[in-house]
Amino acid sequence: MAASIYILVALGLTLVLSIMGIVQFAHGEIYMMGAYGAYYFCIVIGLHYLLALVLSTLLMGVAGIIIEKIFFRPFRQGDFLPSVIMAVGLMIMLQTTATVSFGSSIKVVTTPFHGIITIAGAILSWERLIIIVISGFFVVVLFLLLRMTKIGQAMVAVSQDMQGAALQGISVDNVSSFAMFLGCMLAGVAGGLMGAIFNLSPSMGGYALMKGIAVIILGGLGSLPGVVVGGLILGFIDSIVPPFMSVQMASMVGFISIILILIFRPQGIMGRPSQ
Amino acid sequence: MSTKKLVKFISYGALIIILFLIPLVITGPYQLHILIMAGIAVILTSSLRLIFNSGQLSLGQGGMMTIGAYTSTLLVMKMGWSTWVALGAATATGALLALLVGYPFVRLKGIYFSLVTVFLAEVIRLIAEQWRSVTGGSLGISNIPPPDPIKISGLLEISFTSKVDFYYLILVFTLISLLILYTLEQSRVGITWFSIRESDSLAESIGVDTTKFKVLAFCIGSLFAGLAGGLYSQYNSVITPSTFGFFYAVYVLIYMIVGGGRRFSGPIVGAVILTFVPELARILKGYQPYIFAVVVILIIIFMPEGLVSMPDRFIKLVTERRGHA
Amino acid sequence: MLEIRGLSKYFGGLAAVNEFDLSINKGELVGLIGPNGAGKTTTFNLVTGFLRPTRGKIMLEGNDIVGRKPHSVAKKGMVRTFQATSIFPNFTVLQNIVAASHLNPKVVFWEAALHTSNSHKQDEHILSQSLGIIQFMGMEGVKDTPAKSLPHGHKRILGIAIALAAEPKLLLLDEPLSGMNAEEVSETVGLIKRIWQRGITILLIEHNMRATMSLCQRIVVLNFGKKIAEGSPEEIKGNNEVIRAYLGTSKYAT
Repeated sequence: MAASIYILVALGLTLVLSIMGIVQFAHGEIYMMGAYGAYYFCIVIGLHYLLALVLSTLLMGVAGIIIEKIFFRPFRQGDFLPSVIMAVGLMIMLQTTATVSFGSSIKVVTTPFHGIITIAGAILSWERLIIIVISGFFVVVLFLLLRMTKIGQAMVAVSQDMQGAALQGISVDNVSSFAMFLGCMLAGVAGGLMGAIFNLSPSMGGYALMKGIAVIILGGLGSLPGVVVGGLILGFIDSIVPPFMSVQMASMVGFISIILILIFRPQGIMGRPSQ
Repeated sequence: MSTKKLVKFISYGALIIILFLIPLVITGPYQLHILIMAGIAVILTSSLRLIFNSGQLSLGQGGMMTIGAYTSTLLVMKMGWSTWVALGAATATGALLALLVGYPFVRLKGIYFSLVTVFLAEVIRLIAEQWRSVTGGSLGISNIPPPDPIKISGLLEISFTSKVDFYYLILVFTLISLLILYTLEQSRVGITWFSIRESDSLAESIGVDTTKFKVLAFCIGSLFAGLAGGLYSQYNSVITPSTFGFFYAVYVLIYMIVGGGRRFSGPIVGAVILTFVPELARILKGYQPYIFAVVVILIIIFMPEGLVSMPDRFIKLVTERRGHA
Repeated sequence: MLEIRGLSKYFGGLAAVNEFDLSINKGELVGLIGPNGAGKTTTFNLVTGFLRPTRGKIMLEGNDIVGRKPHSVAKKGMVRTFQATSIFPNFTVLQNIVAASHLNPKVVFWEAALHTSNSHKQDEHILSQSLGIIQFMGMEGVKDTPAKSLPHGHKRILGIAIALAAEPKLLLLDEPLSGMNAEEVSETVGLIKRIWQRGITILLIEHNMRATMSLCQRIVVLNFGKKIAEGSPEEIKGNNEVIRAYLGTSKYAT
């Protein structure tokens, strides 16, 4: 289950990375805001969890478009260093806002899904099952989008060669906006889903960012199937190790494996060598 | 010596003298603390830039600092070593770790290298957290003793009890570090690093062992990070695994970029000014990081090349105006 | 000087270079031609260590250099230029050459780091040597221009100058004339001749047939990774295999 969350976060991150060429340091904070958004709509306003999730996710998508326009578009050309600063600055601002507004009190999003079911001998809670299903839904939709729609193809083109795509008449501006829209939606829904299981905190974003980066590196930069594979592996490690050692050890195992994989196979498991 | 060089020499000399005289004017322990932290930041940021000069962006300096801090602390507290030797050991461990992981790391391009250094720092942090018997776990180590007193019989006796003592200590180390870093940069080695950054394959094709030089830059940069960590531990008396985490590395990166990555003085300016900004905004309490972020973003918008490009921009602005007049 | 025997490189099942033999003696000016994709640049990459051969022997002045990294090959005296212009873009022309000269140190690292008088003398020597190269290449006018602002032709010449600064014994030029207009071509051809007259052995990849024929004493023709002809310019001009290889691409008629 953790794997599915990682995959969602990493997909959003890699989308922005491949298409816009920037490491969206604030991605984790979008995830966090997705969680808080879901909390707000669900607990504070009282909507049904799924509806809250949808609203929060859409809100994040829209936020993404605004962010792209203000923070990243002016810096698309030239040196990548200024865009790093913008992303980092944004990250700091969002995290500060959250810390100040929500404080450190514990918040949980309770969902209407209770109880457990048994599938093929494994015991799963309904909540976790829903998370896996929703994540899977998004992954499938994304893949179909990229393969079958015009905008999806445009996105693929831009990710491979921004100049070339522009010369072919593709509006890089529109593609970037859409990429941010999708990317932030994915982060938002991941956060919203995660909020149903774990407590919310303003610092949950940093953790998500780390995992997202880890998944992308493991699975291979520029490869979406790689992200899925990487996410599954990392999720697996994070589920297997803790019962024996601890959550931190799991993270450490994960990181060390990635370092080792990078040493022997610099492009990640499924990445393209020329990246 | 040409007049230009003479002027430069005198102005730097004057600046150094002023720096040494500051504690006569600024006596508040809090202000001195800020200056000390600024000094450490300068060492770190300049060392980051050294690595960056060879075309690699290391975001794992925090990890090297952590190693340096813990090495120095443990050698002093558990093995009774002299703090000065321990400091040397801390510096060396920074370099050794970089040497250990350097060759495989350096083969990775661009963002991969950066990310793998982030992971390294995280692994170090996690080890520091988990190895409770040695490192005290996530609570860290406290009551770290300050540097051993320096006694030169009859001439000098310096014990490190007040902030002023530490100020001078950090000042001396900062100046020495900057001198070393500058000399390296101006030398043939520096030219080699810049050439590698400009075009890796071209440098390789005319005889530069690019891998060796990249590892060298990485090691020297990490060496200074280890030093900074050791100094910090002896100053602050408390260290935890997360003191120099990912966020700290990001801050150091910000210092470098905002100060200006293209010039040697960039990291210095960036580190000093941006160490002060959060302090000035301290009255706003929780919102303080906000101000920091806004300031940083504004600077980058108006001066993408960093603060040190200000004089050039100013000159450009003036000469352009004249042209129109 | 350079002895290549049985050189092969397979990518998957495809042979980019297939059992290639070549001997180059000191002081020769040899041309390597062939249609696009024939494997010429791949051969350069293999010979200079940028790619590892699947099979074959490469001997430079009697030493086996297979598996050596490019910088090591360059230190042994074989320097190559690139098809895509390779310069240090943010350096000025002069800085480009000075940097390239510096990269072949004759002063020990520590001496350089500490700015001893020995290293100062070295610096002066390098500066005068660099200015010499710039003059030789005819680039005095632009010596203080940032390399990235140069017109394309000048950039290609700068690429050659950089290789020269590394003091090569054997110079491998990869399509030095590409993208040049007629005037630049004749200038550069003269330049290459002057370099050769200084005693530097040259192996040249080019598509410009006229230039190649006028410069080279011996020409080797590659197609689909295999050598299909070798001989003097006249012999190659009349060789049916060669003509057939180029058929359909009238651009390559002499």
